[in-house]
Amino acid sequence: MDSKVEATYNRALSAMALVGFISFLLLSIYRKPLSPVPFYGAVTFLSIVFIGYFFTGWIFPSSDKFLFILAGFLVELGLIMLCRINIELFKRQVAFFALGVGFFILSSILTRYFVRLELNPVYLWGITTALLLLPLLFGVEKGGARNWLAFGGFTFQPSELAKITFVFYLAGVVKQNKINHFPRLAAEILAAVGLLVLSRDLGGAMLFYLTALAVIFAATSRLDVTAAGLFAAGIMGVLSYNLFDHVRVRIEAWLNPWQDVPGRGYQIAQSLFAIAEGGYFGTGLGLGRPDFIPAVATDFIFSAFTEEFGFLGAAAVILMYFLLVYRGIRIALRLKDSYPALIALGHTVMFGMQIFTIIGGVIKLIPVTGVTLPFMSYGGSSMVMSFTSLGILNGLWLQAREGETDGETA
Amino acid sequence: MEKLHRNIKLIFAVFCGLFLCLLGYLTYFQVYERQKLIESSYNRRLWEQEESITRGTVYDIKGRVLAATVEENGVKRRVYPQGPAFGPLLGYSSRKLGRAGLEEVLNGELLGISQQDPMLVLRQKVLGVSKGNDVYLTIDSDLQKKAYELFRGRRGALVALDPNTGAVLAMVSSPGYNPGLAEQQWEALSKDEASPLLNRAIQGLYPPGSSFKIVTLAAALEGIPDIEKKTYETPGYVKVNGRVIRDYEGMEPGNYDVKKAFRHSSNSVFVKIGLELGKERLFAKAQEFGFNSRIPFELPVTVSRFPGFSLMSDDVELAEDSIGQGRLLATPLQMALVTSTVANGGKMVQPYIVHKAVTPLGYVKNFQKTGFTKQVIDGVTANKIREYMVDVVENGTGTPAKIQGIPVAGKTGSAENPHGKPHAWFVGFAPAHDPKIAVAVVVENAGSGGRNAGPIARDIILQYLKGLR
Repeated sequence: MDSKVEATYNRALSAMALVGFISFLLLSIYRKPLSPVPFYGAVTFLSIVFIGYFFTGWIFPSSDKFLFILAGFLVELGLIMLCRINIELFKRQVAFFALGVGFFILSSILTRYFVRLELNPVYLWGITTALLLLPLLFGVEKGGARNWLAFGGFTFQPSELAKITFVFYLAGVVKQNKINHFPRLAAEILAAVGLLVLSRDLGGAMLFYLTALAVIFAATSRLDVTAAGLFAAGIMGVLSYNLFDHVRVRIEAWLNPWQDVPGRGYQIAQSLFAIAEGGYFGTGLGLGRPDFIPAVATDFIFSAFTEEFGFLGAAAVILMYFLLVYRGIRIALRLKDSYPALIALGHTVMFGMQIFTIIGGVIKLIPVTGVTLPFMSYGGSSMVMSFTSLGILNGLWLQAREGETDGETA
Repeated sequence: MEKLHRNIKLIFAVFCGLFLCLLGYLTYFQVYERQKLIESSYNRRLWEQEESITRGTVYDIKGRVLAATVEENGVKRRVYPQGPAFGPLLGYSSRKLGRAGLEEVLNGELLGISQQDPMLVLRQKVLGVSKGNDVYLTIDSDLQKKAYELFRGRRGALVALDPNTGAVLAMVSSPGYNPGLAEQQWEALSKDEASPLLNRAIQGLYPPGSSFKIVTLAAALEGIPDIEKKTYETPGYVKVNGRVIRDYEGMEPGNYDVKKAFRHSSNSVFVKIGLELGKERLFAKAQEFGFNSRIPFELPVTVSRFPGFSLMSDDVELAEDSIGQGRLLATPLQMALVTSTVANGGKMVQPYIVHKAVTPLGYVKNFQKTGFTKQVIDGVTANKIREYMVDVVENGTGTPAKIQGIPVAGKTGSAENPHGKPHAWFVGFAPAHDPKIAVAVVVENAGSGGRNAGPIARDIILQYLKGLR
């Protein structure tokens, strides 16, 4: 690898270590009574980052290390906030991160075999719908959405895994030119989206739908289909506004949260108060009031972050996510075959839309939908599956690089 | 493949747009929405801050407590040890009622949340300081209470200023109320037709009556050549376009020069002077004295009105303006400023009431204003008016304000109004040649200014000057 690029990565890595060290030291001191937990947590976290980074660098010298650094930095910022909000969640999140890194490496390795396998999309669709159906049958409700499965002490969100299988399904189906059997394709996609709506995971439904539209558009260049799809989404939105109470509540809270602050506007109002308090430079770590924000560890972590790190911190996070999307797109463009390119695109769009949906939601640009902020929000399923997606992107990158070197030698 | 790549780039362009929207909206939010939300009454941060911060203490100039927060069994309570003399001025701070008066205006200061210096804020946050700033007023609480007692419950107001600096020494509105009992007595207070909640000194608009003749005199001395040598013959009244304006009872008809007319507060002569001056010059002089513009002050001051040119402008209106009647209205603070301008050699200084604020860490923020001074009348004219005003107290309508051994300058006013007896005005300052205090007193519907307002002014001047020795 280019030594200049290598140096840049190393600089980013040391900046990340420095930020982590200062922040967690501060949190250790600030916590009353004095506690070493944040410090131990930080050491553990940074060790995992370094091990993960150098291990992937060692087994795949040409892997896209930037992906891992970006994700690691975002996880670190999320951990800093979690450590501040709830130390128990922080400890568990560090464990989830370790698991996530494991999955990142695993999926980096396995992706090429999986791509080569070219599983029949029908199976993938079957797995996806099964994953989405399970919580409806056996699931438990959390935060208003019935999309959780509980095994003993663990809970798991199958829709996170379904995101991955769904992207593979999409890439497979459009590659096979199933687009010609349009009604069937539409029915399959709508079935998956419908299941999400049934489990009241509206954000998820929106993500799946828009990702499907993007992949279909990329493969077919059919603007008419895309436009029709967006139009249909609009109609579905209006319909669900009229049909479902919880949709109406969210839209109304978005349009005018000040009408009923103690009631339906509560969440978004608290989020906005936090962001307002932060100003440009933030209140400073440990000096905000995340305890006022509901669901602060998961959906609203961005608001808590903005309060303490200010507009500048928030803008930096948004730009980091943007870079992540950019890297994903870059991978999609490097791939020679359309099938892996569509997989890369699907994962990137899924990421990008999810980030836009939740950040846009908590700053009241769009209505709030309960999706997590990848890498930053607390949650094992989200963390592990986000890293798996990232690993798949990395795996595809490796494949692209191999293709290039093959081409050079041939 | 070509098409696929093009499409992926297109999708990427969409993402660029979406993320730009995020940044753009966040910027918009910071610039336009932020302040509203920080101050929103729904914002729990605000409540918490107020709950956790012990509101600062308000002191008078000598360090006596005017308002303080005491904690009893973990419950914070705001107490006002000086009683009703301070009610309309201090106002109240209550969860139930909200805030009023200085408690409202100085809220940020008393909570310590209006610090401009971010390092100071950070230092206090880190050190866990949970006390707001203490505020020292320029008020002398003895003087304030004395003045309040002198009203004996009658409706009215008093403003006492240091004419050299603009510091407010007393600002009384009667009847008052005890802010500590505002919550319990709210029903009665808000319905009382004597409006105890109103701070008459800055919110009450009264016709200034003859006390306004100071302004007319100033305009005349500057605007009419050789005015001092002129004499006016008066039968005890003047007729303007059929309207008869009379002098006060007991004023003898005859020949009056301007000094004698001022001494006896002759309406007929001042109407003639006003007509000679013309609307423009009188209007301009009143404007220079602060009429028709907001007096810069910590508390919101109602604008005193000198009616401008309109279709109704005619000689009758001008005649009434010249003697402070008609549609002309002034706050007691405005008239105190007029007086103190004469006392200060024609230079008007900005009034202020907050002396300093002290942060819990001992950092002192001074509030003395040095800006806003303007020469309203020239020094020579001011000295002439001063002598005229001394004459008023020595030999004229202001004799009830006379003090043995101390020359007092003053002007009385008995302002006709539709609510009954005239409002009694007295404005003045002392010692006349080295002024330490300027006072404006108005007692509603009390009758003659000299007899009813004069003694109040005298007693306040006397007490203040004694205190200085």
